[in-house]
Amino acid sequence: MAREIPYIAAVQEAIRLEMERDDTVVFYGQDVAPSDEDPLVQAFGRNRVRVSPISETAEIGMAVGLALSGYRPIVELLMAEFMLVAMNQVVNEAPRLRYMSGGQVKVPAVFKAGYGFTAGWAGQHTGSIYGMFMGFPGLKIALPATPADAKGLMASAVRDDNPVCYLINYLLVLEHGDVPEGEYVVPFGEAAIRRTGSDVTIVATGWTVGRALAAAETLAGEGIQAEVIDPRTLNPLDTATILSSVEKTGRLVIVDQGTRHGGASAVIAAEVAEHGFGTLKAPIAQVTALDVTVPYSEPMEAYVLPNEEKIAGTVRQVLGEAPVAA
Amino acid sequence: MQELDNDRLVWMFTQMLRIREFEERVKRTFEEHPGVIRGHTHLADGAEASIVGSLATLQPGDQLLATYRCHGYPITLGTDTKAIMAEIYGRKDGLCGGYGGSMHLADPGRGFLGTSGIVGQGIPQATGAAWGAQLRNQGQIVLGFFGDGASKQGAFHESLNLASLWKLPIVYVMENNGYNVATQSEQEDANAAAGEPLSVKAKAYSMPGVTVDGGDPVAVYEAVGAAGDRARAGDGPTLIESKVYRLSAHGNIIAPPGVPLHYPEHEAITVFGNREEYEAALRGDPVPRFRARLIEQGALEAGRADEIAQEVHDELDAAVQFALDSPYPEPEAAARVDYVYA
Amino acid sequence: MDGDVAQGLLRTMWRIRLFEERVAQLKRSLQVHGLIHLSIGGEGVAAAVCGQLRDDDAVYSGHRAHGHAIAKGAPVDRVMAELMGRVDGVCRGLGGSMHLVDAAHGFMGATGVVGGNLPLALGTALTAHLQGTDQVTVVFFGDGAVQAGHFNETINLAALWRLPVIFVCENNGMAEFTSREEHSTIEWVSDVVAPYGFERTTVNGSDVPAVYDVFGAFLGQARAGQGPMLLECVTYRRRGHYEGDPEKYRDPVAEQEWAERDPVAQLTAQAIAEGWIAPEEAGSIEAEAGAEIEDAVRFGRDSQFPEPGLSAELVYAK
Repeated sequence: MAREIPYIAAVQEAIRLEMERDDTVVFYGQDVAPSDEDPLVQAFGRNRVRVSPISETAEIGMAVGLALSGYRPIVELLMAEFMLVAMNQVVNEAPRLRYMSGGQVKVPAVFKAGYGFTAGWAGQHTGSIYGMFMGFPGLKIALPATPADAKGLMASAVRDDNPVCYLINYLLVLEHGDVPEGEYVVPFGEAAIRRTGSDVTIVATGWTVGRALAAAETLAGEGIQAEVIDPRTLNPLDTATILSSVEKTGRLVIVDQGTRHGGASAVIAAEVAEHGFGTLKAPIAQVTALDVTVPYSEPMEAYVLPNEEKIAGTVRQVLGEAPVAA
Repeated sequence: MQELDNDRLVWMFTQMLRIREFEERVKRTFEEHPGVIRGHTHLADGAEASIVGSLATLQPGDQLLATYRCHGYPITLGTDTKAIMAEIYGRKDGLCGGYGGSMHLADPGRGFLGTSGIVGQGIPQATGAAWGAQLRNQGQIVLGFFGDGASKQGAFHESLNLASLWKLPIVYVMENNGYNVATQSEQEDANAAAGEPLSVKAKAYSMPGVTVDGGDPVAVYEAVGAAGDRARAGDGPTLIESKVYRLSAHGNIIAPPGVPLHYPEHEAITVFGNREEYEAALRGDPVPRFRARLIEQGALEAGRADEIAQEVHDELDAAVQFALDSPYPEPEAAARVDYVYA
Repeated sequence: MDGDVAQGLLRTMWRIRLFEERVAQLKRSLQVHGLIHLSIGGEGVAAAVCGQLRDDDAVYSGHRAHGHAIAKGAPVDRVMAELMGRVDGVCRGLGGSMHLVDAAHGFMGATGVVGGNLPLALGTALTAHLQGTDQVTVVFFGDGAVQAGHFNETINLAALWRLPVIFVCENNGMAEFTSREEHSTIEWVSDVVAPYGFERTTVNGSDVPAVYDVFGAFLGQARAGQGPMLLECVTYRRRGHYEGDPEKYRDPVAEQEWAERDPVAQLTAQAIAEGWIAPEEAGSIEAEAGAEIEDAVRFGRDSQFPEPGLSAELVYAK
């Protein structure tokens, strides 16, 4: 049974179900359920649901310690950029301890945060920084683009025995979508084909999936059938589905809300260039944010980001139907 | 906490000797078997009384996290010294299969959850493990070990505030050896510069701050034990400042292009030209001091003390030999995905 | 405190009050965009502190920075233009509410990261110390920043090196949406820094003359190269954490009490009672401030949006 609920409700539903299912799951963070009347506190008590101060190093480090001692913490960090305040715990501790101990320990922890809120939240609150996390083996990354995936990927994140950066896109929080009731798990490492087509493969993440689908509609009116793939998780990354699509279409456009350098699109482009070279009929193209800090002013902010027109225009270029930009 | 009977006192002395002998052997390896130990090692000689006095308070199910100066904890907990030495020598039979090395020992089965190589970063992890103990509600506690240098880290401030707010069952044990690598505490700490004990920092976190002579294992046992009892009773954390003096330099030198060399002299001498400070510390060496005290109070006979020393010597001979004989891991073992991901 | 000082303070406070109220309206009508945090209730602290500083003294703030910027001398029209995302804004539309900078007046920046500017203040104070000048650095932050690790790291260094920095904590008892007791066992921020042994005072942030006097004394010491010092001003945040905040956490009784401690109303009443201003002057100060704000809104609306390419030009210094 599915019903339409907003993305943000789907996340909360997943957390609640996992906490009901497994009493080693704890949830805490800044402004998490400050009132004792909050339904999560009513359901699970103050031992398992806590509000913590603005102390990211301690909050994330505590998650590591909780995980080492047999619990499964979900830490609410609010904004992905706030993880930067505690970068050491995220990249140098959580994902490395298992390996350094020769497999003796594991760190099942979910670092939950939102990203990409380009609605005037300006330079320090709007970035899409997850690309850099792809360089830290041991750290998984989930980017749900739909309410159903928001629920299913959170379930997987909690059940995974490794540290997971679970990042919701703030531009999607009120998007409604069909979400199955009850237990619903979306496995990591399985991309979703959001639209089939045979002329070009568009790989898009998070909020840009919707932009890519809109571009695909426009392009369909021009006789161009685009296949839109949502990787859903950047680590593990389902390169097989992407390569198989490119084998069919011969053309790849990658869309990501992060910047061009050191981002997810660059990693995906390199994988396909290396392993799918023979299938390509045109160079791979990337549609990313400009390499600038996101500016505050609305017209500039819009200018910096990928959008439907840029995606469609890039597709036309790789199909040779528009001049390549200088 | 339990009273210390003679058997327990002799056990404590034995652990202190084991740690001392172990660290001596690590140091000697640089000269006797150059090239066998790579990278950085950090020795706990001089801190044995503090380590053993603290760990003697542990009860089943208790846990601890430590820093990169970590050899002494698993030794005291009963981890096989062969496995620890093999780990430091990077061998397949090492405690962590050669994956971690000197700075990253772990023995979670004995409660030693691990370390961090980054100053202060194990403190929040210990705090989280303490929340785990609170959830289990079986009267277990966590000991979080760190040095005085770590108390300047934001992680210290954030963790102690949280532990106090949530009354977590943790004892924070700060081993204050007066140095942060080559910097003296007075140069980097406003309290030390004002001549105050670092335990005063506890005031900002509504928890007791206790300074104890880390060279006296019984005093440490009593202070950490009392703090542990407080934590077990649900009354929250304590900050213990255990004053020690490390008898070796911060760590071994590494000369370009990466050849690890011997241990230099202590920074008191090499950086500050203060040989007298170091020699005073040698005179106060906690290991022979405790031996003499136990003999004097009749808890231990000199003959038995010598026997113990010989047993420890033999144990460490075996550990070194085992480590030397242990094969290196297969290179492909580095790619073990089941060690990258659970 | 005399007539001139009181008038100056009231002018600044009205300017901030009316600016913030106007911004709230503009936000609701979508003429100001993004995440906005208003300083209504904090005008007294901003005016009493920044009003005693020079252009070459540095002020750093947090995300609730409009009042501090204006009190430090940032022109209201250029701040309004910034909030409207226009090219004549203090940051040419690039920064917005949480990233205001007016270097010419020494307002070295707001930040969106709680407590993020604390270490930066150390740097400016260190410069003054090394150069032996009488320049002073002030950093504003809220009680929520005190639990962050960088607060402790900054306090230790400031105390160790005795830097001429004045930490001004506006303790409104709330950090985002939770009250202080969920964040710390220590009620007063000045007690959190007690182990460091430097001068610290807690004052009622609505008692503007008290803030003025205590800060003035600290300022004198800092000019002589002494420091650090901490001034904790107990305030009340009259509106939600951000504009649009549903504010489920507010206590209506406290709200009533604090309405009676509105710093603008309090200082006005005291200034009239002490004869620092004539009753009719109170009205004209408010009216003049209102006119300034309307001019600022017109200025903002008349200003252009920046050219899209501006952002790429400003990534690197040339």
